[in-house]
Amino acid sequence: MSIQKSEVRSQKSGAGIVSRVLLCGLCVAIFSMASGKATDQVSQGATVASNSEGWREAIAGYDFSFPRDHASHPEYKIEWWYYTGNLETADGRRIGYQLTFFRTGVAFRPLVESRWAVRDLYIAHFAISDIEREKFHWFERINRAGIGWAGAEANIYRVWNEDWQARLDGGDHLIEAAEGDFKLELRLTPEKKEIVHGENGVSRKGPSVENASHYYSITRFRASGRVMIEGRSFDVTGKSWMDHEFGTSFLGSEQKGWDWFSIQLDDGRELMLFETRRADGSIDPRSSGTLIEKDGSAIHIPFSELKLTPVSVWRSEQSGAQYPIEWKLEVPRFDLSLRIRAAFSDQELITQESAGVAYWEGSVIVEGAGARGRGYLEMTGYAGQSMGAVMGDGVKR
Amino acid sequence: MKAYFRLFHQFILRAFARAPLRSAITAVGISLGVGVMIAIRLANAGALESFRAATESIAGETSIQITGAAGRFDEMLMADLAWLREYGQASPVVTGFGQWSAVRGQGSGAGDQGSVDENASTQNQAVDSSEGEFLQVLGVDVLRDRALRRYKLLQLTSEEREVSAREFLLLLTDPRSIVLTEKFANRRRIAIGNRITLMIGDRRQEFIVRGLLADSGPARALDGRVALLDIAAAQVALGCAGFLDRIDVKLRGGVSLEEAEKEIAARLPKGLRVVRPQAAYGQVEKMISAFHFNLNALASIALLVGLFLIYNTVSVSVITRRGETGTLRAIGAGRRMILALFLGEAALLALIGAAVGLGIGRLLANAAVQATATTVETFYIARAATGALERGALGATEMLIAFGVALSLSLIAAALPALEASRVRPIEAMRGAERLARSRRPSRKNIAAAILLMALGYILSRLDAIGGLPIAGYFAALSLILGGAALTPTAIWIVCRASDALSSLRALQAERKMASANLRGSISRISISVAALAVSLAMMTAISIMIASFRDTVSYWIDQTLTADIYAKPVTRTASTADGAINEEAISAIKSNPQVAAIDTFTSLQANYNDNLITVAAGDFSVLLERGRLLFKSPSDAQEEIRKSINADSVLVSESLALRFNKQSGDEIVLPTTQGQHGFRVAAVYYNYSDTRGVAVMDRTTFERYFARLGPSSVSIYLKEGADAETASDEIARATARHQLLFTTSASVRREVLRIFDNTFSITRALELIAITVAALGVISTLIALILERRDEIAVLRFLGATRAQIRRMVVIESVLIGTVSQLIGVVMGLFTSLVLIYVINVQSFGWTIQFHFPVRFLIESTALMIVVTALAGLYPASQAVKVEAVRFAREE
Repeated sequence: MSIQKSEVRSQKSGAGIVSRVLLCGLCVAIFSMASGKATDQVSQGATVASNSEGWREAIAGYDFSFPRDHASHPEYKIEWWYYTGNLETADGRRIGYQLTFFRTGVAFRPLVESRWAVRDLYIAHFAISDIEREKFHWFERINRAGIGWAGAEANIYRVWNEDWQARLDGGDHLIEAAEGDFKLELRLTPEKKEIVHGENGVSRKGPSVENASHYYSITRFRASGRVMIEGRSFDVTGKSWMDHEFGTSFLGSEQKGWDWFSIQLDDGRELMLFETRRADGSIDPRSSGTLIEKDGSAIHIPFSELKLTPVSVWRSEQSGAQYPIEWKLEVPRFDLSLRIRAAFSDQELITQESAGVAYWEGSVIVEGAGARGRGYLEMTGYAGQSMGAVMGDGVKR
Repeated sequence: MKAYFRLFHQFILRAFARAPLRSAITAVGISLGVGVMIAIRLANAGALESFRAATESIAGETSIQITGAAGRFDEMLMADLAWLREYGQASPVVTGFGQWSAVRGQGSGAGDQGSVDENASTQNQAVDSSEGEFLQVLGVDVLRDRALRRYKLLQLTSEEREVSAREFLLLLTDPRSIVLTEKFANRRRIAIGNRITLMIGDRRQEFIVRGLLADSGPARALDGRVALLDIAAAQVALGCAGFLDRIDVKLRGGVSLEEAEKEIAARLPKGLRVVRPQAAYGQVEKMISAFHFNLNALASIALLVGLFLIYNTVSVSVITRRGETGTLRAIGAGRRMILALFLGEAALLALIGAAVGLGIGRLLANAAVQATATTVETFYIARAATGALERGALGATEMLIAFGVALSLSLIAAALPALEASRVRPIEAMRGAERLARSRRPSRKNIAAAILLMALGYILSRLDAIGGLPIAGYFAALSLILGGAALTPTAIWIVCRASDALSSLRALQAERKMASANLRGSISRISISVAALAVSLAMMTAISIMIASFRDTVSYWIDQTLTADIYAKPVTRTASTADGAINEEAISAIKSNPQVAAIDTFTSLQANYNDNLITVAAGDFSVLLERGRLLFKSPSDAQEEIRKSINADSVLVSESLALRFNKQSGDEIVLPTTQGQHGFRVAAVYYNYSDTRGVAVMDRTTFERYFARLGPSSVSIYLKEGADAETASDEIARATARHQLLFTTSASVRREVLRIFDNTFSITRALELIAITVAALGVISTLIALILERRDEIAVLRFLGATRAQIRRMVVIESVLIGTVSQLIGVVMGLFTSLVLIYVINVQSFGWTIQFHFPVRFLIESTALMIVVTALAGLYPASQAVKVEAVRFAREE
């Protein structure tokens, strides 16, 4: 089946957005997000760039420019920076990490004149997977900007939540986070260019034009730095992945949850794929994947061309959720038949104080005929809360 | 034992029944003493306990607080305190007070601006009424704060799960959102979604109730009078955007409190300091302890009088049952049995008195709390104590104290007469011999004792306060009074002789002679009762002189210092909260009134000086120099000092501050400023009777250099020549209607100050009344005792031809003579005691100079009153005396 390139791109980007939107949606849905309102008020095809609250909509024609677009876009309501990676100490100890910064707008123009007035909420999640000991450590932060506790600068790339931060140093990304006896300090050197998803600078994810966002990824970094686990410090090297997305109106989906994969193959290719599960148990046909070639070119993989099958399930005692922590992936077109399994079972975050949801996000090992590698897997909507309900609520409000 | 109770029943209880009034009088005397004591204890303990509880529940799990050295501090100071994370969770707090009042009429929407002006003055009146309730407004960042304080939000928990910090925050992000406690909401019938109005500072602000807190954690403080706002909204509502009141820190597990406290203190920038949450409690305790100490001292005087009464009653009992006692001894009762019987009587009276006293104490406690509320000027205490009293019953401790004190004092008081009774020899008692002492001059020993006691009193009055309490002063007063009491026999002798000496006065000559001889004959018997009366009168006189002097001083001070025509303050700034500032907009509105010649703004904040709360204030010294007037204690050329203090690092301090911390003009006082400790020169000491804690005033320009920018808390308005204060006041009130200011003309300020003054001293007056009532009861019971003792003599007189009228007159004259003696001693001792009160006790506990004022009129009036009261009091014993028939003599002989 041949698909026109533009369509491929838009489909692909839509997929990526949906997954991240849903995760961020968890954070924002209860904030009475105005996505529904926005849909009502922004008429089809109009050149209106802002919704009734003042937030700017993601519309076609956005001209990405780097490093400028690494920085924050406060005129949009939702924005996040997302880093994951698989690292290794000098003596071969394997460590996975996740460091995510969210910014979600609350009031475009706060009504009170105080530094504490909440314009945006800043949430951050930090997790370390101690693969050798099969121990998962995660932390969350939620702050208002206040007196500079958290923020994201609009001119240069620097996003922070207290002493956790990500910033640019030349072409490199410097990320750091610490909590108690745990610490992450990495220098990430891009090995591939930014891949802008979508068409004409905008990636549509819903049926109507305003259901869109601006979205790009850096799928391969060379990482080096230090990690402290339970008070012990290690020099580490490895690979990393970054996503950055910003927008205002998101699709009010009825999806129950999703499974999202970012795989870095040893042969220099990357694979991003996800599937969205619907309430009736079926998989949303918008689910899809992207293959990034060694030279940085991207190829869309439509839902029809990939087959994801859960192999084994792990039950979380804390949340009661049953996560498929081992998957079989088949992409006949690229002759890929991979087994993706969690580096260890319990890599679940129960972000009661910040995002308010439980999800599984952890390091995975990829093995199979034709390719092997490492990656990250994100699974949501298994902990009883139906993502659709959460999102639906948000839309209605 | 059984025999004892049978005897007790026949010998004591029956006697009680025969003379119910006398027993009742004694019991009442004791119960008043106990009552006052218990009342003070209840009020005191209740207030302190509730304050402690309130502090603790508001503090939550806060282990350390960081506060500004000088009040609120710039919030950006906190931005540099990220290192606090090493120690634990830090949460910024802004706090203040808001006055809630029920909305009258229907809520005025934003649309009807036009009607606002017309209602302005009436609205001012309405809000000022005491119907509202004060709420402590707590502004926090719930994202941070939940680690420190457990808010249990009732809403949003339908699924049995607590709301997340994020949900909680979003509930509050609208600046008009407020969360109240369930307790308060239920009491005031407020539901979620309702609009409520709070008066904060000079503004009326509307909020929407978004949630209710269950009765746990901080919601339990102040009986539910807590309102939670988001920190941003709270800053705006309280008018302190950019500033914080404190940072609460919850230390992480394993961090030592002492070490963290030390380390954090060392790392903090200038202008910030570390305190423990309990520190505030300690300061309040200090503040009210002086006040309650004074009350307790007065209560012990009431008890002292009760003690005299017990002595008196048991004496009477011993005298009247002399014959019976003899009989008992004759038929085999041992001395111990007799002793136990009379002590038993005292114990029984004490028990009844204490039981009644507990009830009285419970009632009086409310009055005491009211007095505290206006005196201590602390919302916390007033509120907390009322809450405690509403709930609080009499605890086991109070009962133990009441019965313990009453019993032990009664037994001590009864010991002397009871011992005397036990020494009665059977034969002598039955014969009825040696009943009365002969009329003789009182011994010199009494005079020597009196001189000794008074000398001791003088020495004590020279001593300094102990721990801020005028303990030596009270003992000085006590010594003086006891010294006066020791002079009683001599005084009786002198007065009786004087009465005799009026021989030229023919009227009632016979009766006078008889009365005088009777009294002189029973000097040893009546001295103690008369002394009791004299002590009460001395106390009354002393307190009256002090209050009158104080009132005169204050009144003079007001006249001298109230030079402005109109004063303005936010409605919410009452005697019990020192919160709220005047908006700049309001000030320019006042300034722009054509009748206004000048204004002087006054800003104050509470500062911590040597662990004591003092007031640091700012005024406009150039206006003060030109138009204002303060009464200066030192130096003589204060005007020049004020001129030099403009924009200089020097302060004017109130006399109370000067006395408390021993500062004279020219000294340096180191105050905590936003830039750390800074020394200021004391330019002058001025008299101020509106504050007991101490005030340091500086020029506004100086203040703004060292302290946070704060809106003025009051404004003095000087009008142009010929302007009418009343009309100008109304005009300005209309122009500033949006700001809820209270305008008072200097005339009404004067009235108001004197009203507060009189309120403050009303409890003292009540105590004084109690003392005199108890003493008057004493006169009656003393005379009854005398008459019972002299029944035979009276019978002889009747036999010899004395008419009933003559007997009655004789008894009334005795009563008046007793009153005169008491009054004489009372006035003299009262005068001395008042000097101690004014120059020692008052100065040590309040730091005020009171100009002594001799109340001639009062003394004349009270003496006249005393004669009338004692004459009236004599009527009842007289009626008992005339019942004695001449036949009695005939029969006995």
